[in-house]
Amino acid sequence: MTTTPHDTDLLRQTRSGAADAFAALYRRHQGPLYRFALLRCGSADTAADVVQETFMGLLTDRFRFDPLRGQLQHFLFGVARNLILKNETAHQRHVVLDGDDGDDELPDDAACPLARLLDNEAAEEVRRALALLAPHYRDAVILYEMHDLSYAEIADICQVDIGTVRSRLSRGRAALAKRLAGWRATAGAA
Amino acid sequence: MDIRNTTDRDPLFDALRAEVGRLDAPRGVEKELLQAFAKLHPPKRRWYHRLAVRPAALAGGVVAGALVLAFAVRAPHPVEDGRAGALVALDGNGVFIALDSAERIAAEPAPRMVATDVPRTSLAALGVPLTPENAGDSVRAEMLVAADGQPLALRLSAIQ
Repeated sequence: MTTTPHDTDLLRQTRSGAADAFAALYRRHQGPLYRFALLRCGSADTAADVVQETFMGLLTDRFRFDPLRGQLQHFLFGVARNLILKNETAHQRHVVLDGDDGDDELPDDAACPLARLLDNEAAEEVRRALALLAPHYRDAVILYEMHDLSYAEIADICQVDIGTVRSRLSRGRAALAKRLAGWRATAGAA
Repeated sequence: MDIRNTTDRDPLFDALRAEVGRLDAPRGVEKELLQAFAKLHPPKRRWYHRLAVRPAALAGGVVAGALVLAFAVRAPHPVEDGRAGALVALDGNGVFIALDSAERIAAEPAPRMVATDVPRTSLAALGVPLTPENAGDSVRAEMLVAADGQPLALRLSAIQ
């Protein structure tokens, strides 16, 4: 029987120069991180950049992980989320400077290649409704519904208290239900 | 995607979980990260790798330094104690000088030969003729070195 090396062991080996340990660490975490970034920002290219920058930061110690403060996966989610927020802030500033200060928070399908990745209509409808949520609601809903994290884990990642996570999740779900009500009725009738 | 407990999860997301769960970061990301890793952690070079790329003169100087040290250690031994015969011998290729015991030399599992030029002044204590005219010369020598770098023996192949 083989045992899976713990993240902290792999990280220690990575810091001492073991490329296979770094590759194992990357392969273990890239999937969930990429999927979170993909749903969070709606762009496959941006999501890939976020994953790359997150792991690059881990490699160079730009983002220093402390095993005493939680799990590596939650740390990586937190770093990815901050990178996405930074990216969004820069994008919004760019849009305002261009004179278009309208409702830029809603991603359209042209800017969302993720739509092309999904075959299932139901999945696409939920993805579309999710993309229309405010970013702080989207964080909580994605991490809870798609990554099965607890309130406490989401609070740790988003750097808010558990009560805030609970209320964001509740409001996010309500907004999703409202947006999907029409589609559900149509799908049910069909 | 890791699903630990789906009882509280909204079934509305089932289709999206199934669709998105098959997606991974593009292969190019891993490739670029591993290249960056390789740059940050270049393979460790052993001391003999460093010696190999240095100029031959420097390598010769290092070996000559080791020889001087070896001779300095050996020089105080009296020649008349009966071991001199075992220490220096003539063979077909020149003067052979054992710098360690015959047992030690025979037991060495991975000896190697290093060619070098030894200053003649360093060999004076071993009886090599030294005059004011040739004091600045070097003697071509081959040194038998143990795996740990310890000099074992020396052959003076071109001595006049």
